[in-house]
Amino acid sequence: SHIVLMLADDMACNPRNPKPATVFSHKNMELNVYGDDVEVDYRSYEVTVENFLRVLTGRIPPSTPRSKRLLSDDRSNILIYMTGHGGNGFLKFQDSEEITNVELADAFEQMWQKRRYNELLFIIDTCQGASMYERFYSPNIMALASSQVGEDSLSHQPDLGIGVHLMDRYTFYVLEFLEEIHPASQTNMNDLFQVCPKSLCVSTPGHRTDLFQRDPQNVLITDFFGSVRKVEITTEAISLDGDLAGFESKLPKDELATESLKYAEQLPVAQIIHQKPKQKDWHPPGGFILGLWALIIMVFFKTYGIKHMKHIF
Amino acid sequence: MAAPLVLVVLVAVTVRAVLYRSSLAAFISERVEVASPLNAWKRVVEGLALLDLGVSPYSGAIFHETPLIIYLFHFLIEYAELVFMITDVLTAVALYLAIQDFNKVVFKKQKLLIELDKYAPDVAELIRTPMEMHYIPLKVALFYLLNPYTVMSCVAKSTCAINNTVMAFFILATIKGSAFLSAVFLALATYQSLYPLTLFAPALLYLLQRQFIPIKLKSKSFWLYTMQYAALYLCSLVVIICLSFFLLNSWDFIPSVYGFILSVPDLTPNIGLFWYFFAEMFEHFSLFFVCVFQINVFFYTIPLAIKLKEHPVFFMFVQIAIISIFKSYPTVGDIALYMAFLPVWSHLYRFLRNIFILSCVLIVCSLLFPVLWHLWIYAGSANSNFYYAITLTFNIGQILLISDYFYAFLRREYYLTHGLHLTRQDGTEAMLVLK
Repeated sequence: SHIVLMLADDMACNPRNPKPATVFSHKNMELNVYGDDVEVDYRSYEVTVENFLRVLTGRIPPSTPRSKRLLSDDRSNILIYMTGHGGNGFLKFQDSEEITNVELADAFEQMWQKRRYNELLFIIDTCQGASMYERFYSPNIMALASSQVGEDSLSHQPDLGIGVHLMDRYTFYVLEFLEEIHPASQTNMNDLFQVCPKSLCVSTPGHRTDLFQRDPQNVLITDFFGSVRKVEITTEAISLDGDLAGFESKLPKDELATESLKYAEQLPVAQIIHQKPKQKDWHPPGGFILGLWALIIMVFFKTYGIKHMKHIF
Repeated sequence: MAAPLVLVVLVAVTVRAVLYRSSLAAFISERVEVASPLNAWKRVVEGLALLDLGVSPYSGAIFHETPLIIYLFHFLIEYAELVFMITDVLTAVALYLAIQDFNKVVFKKQKLLIELDKYAPDVAELIRTPMEMHYIPLKVALFYLLNPYTVMSCVAKSTCAINNTVMAFFILATIKGSAFLSAVFLALATYQSLYPLTLFAPALLYLLQRQFIPIKLKSKSFWLYTMQYAALYLCSLVVIICLSFFLLNSWDFIPSVYGFILSVPDLTPNIGLFWYFFAEMFEHFSLFFVCVFQINVFFYTIPLAIKLKEHPVFFMFVQIAIISIFKSYPTVGDIALYMAFLPVWSHLYRFLRNIFILSCVLIVCSLLFPVLWHLWIYAGSANSNFYYAITLTFNIGQILLISDYFYAFLRREYYLTHGLHLTRQDGTEAMLVLK
């Protein structure tokens, strides 16, 4: 699978971090979340609302490397996790700008219309986080938030050796829950909704499933986490004829009957690869050519005498 | 004489072909001394590409060549190198034929003057003989084709070569005496770069001389012929401009070509005198100074016409040199054209005073141009003053060359009529001074 990580602050390599290159979830230093395989794609000042929306919608300059692109097609399940300071309807980026819930909803609608996702799980851990998923209107989106509108999300435990709180409560308990999940687990979304009740989180986590086509009971956690693919091993040959009747019946009735596009087809690759050298489109107008050659012939005959004309005609 | 000419042509074509295939071709095309905003090949290709995309090539400040060049290269763009080699060969052949005819004219005139006893008795060593004049046309063709300036200009595919060809044909037509063809070629040359307008005067003087019409202001036949020639010239110019209108159905090319030449908006350094001044000038004064600088080209025509009315071909040489020094975007291709004429005046060698210093200045400056450019642009240890100093020195060298030849020519004429050993009234030896 593909992870695009946008970190505005570099806490692991912050000069004030007494344990450099590590970010622990708890002061007992059991789990280093900034491990060896963390790759930050957008760092410090590159984390802007514009870049985030460009990653989502795919309107990226052609020079962007593949690691900074979303590279999703209409069969991809996307997980988006956002955390930081926020409020009723916005999330703060870089101390100077905000992304609003309307912008986010419109970005997701663009993604739906361009068939850039199959199902989308949106998790947000900010103050009044539920306000961020209130405005979604595209199908197949499931959203979780750490607190309702009017509530603050609180942080978990400080590490007095470092001097800051290491993690937020909701994230801490979700991380604890997800550490138990392995690729074969059958835990479904309803269990995820129960993570961090009010007694532990102080704020009330919320979720939204009305846009989601399937019943959350039937949605596995591994549909979004762990890059688990359905692999079926068989020893007999299967012929892939045109008989797709069995496949089509699985689609729910109200889903838009759009043709599915592979990722590759979203780009006009064939056109780009087989570009022929451009034919010359412009030709001088006939009147000009006629006039020019008439002049040249007139000059020629004026100089060399009209007597040559009779040799031509 | 055809065989040596063919040999020279073959050698020249080989040199150019070798350079085209070497890695120097790209380096030379980038040099500012060889390619100016008016005649760079890159701009011609850009203009044609814009046209293929459906945009007028004159939109934006890229393309400043005339529509007839668009027409020429629209069909010949794949054979560009061949076209430029052929234009160089055509120029050399035209100059060869022109100088051959000119030699005959000079010799005839000399014979007439000797018979009329116009020459002083002791000038036998100044009289020109057919023997010494035999190889001059070949030398002219050689000087043009194998001049490093011409070779560089051809390898860079600068359209200055086409301008040189048109001017060479104009000179050929004038010397052959055909007023119509000379007017047509002069109109073509003026149409492409504005300055050959000043060559109208020497061409007119030559044609008048050929028709034996005396150059007196009161003479009716003088005015009649002048009017005829001027009418031919202006009509062909108007016809060519109107024809170019029909190529793109717009008058866009007039501000882009002539407006550009006259108002000098592009201040890329070149071997001319304009760029440095206008780079540091206040906007308030730029119009005034543009006018002053441009007048410089046209200004010398009338005095030279008065002084050199008996010698129009020399006048043409001096005028071409003045154009290539004072024009707004000169390149080494323009210099190559008048340098091709130097063998015609090789009999003036004994009167040239500064020829050694001049040739040193010109050679050293030509070598220093790329050095100081590198120091300025790439190494960053020089600045534009260094490059402009070399430009100034180079142009001073050229001006001194022209004035030296001018002085030598006039001195020879004086000696011819007054004798080689001049004495003052009291019998001591006299010195000729150009005032």
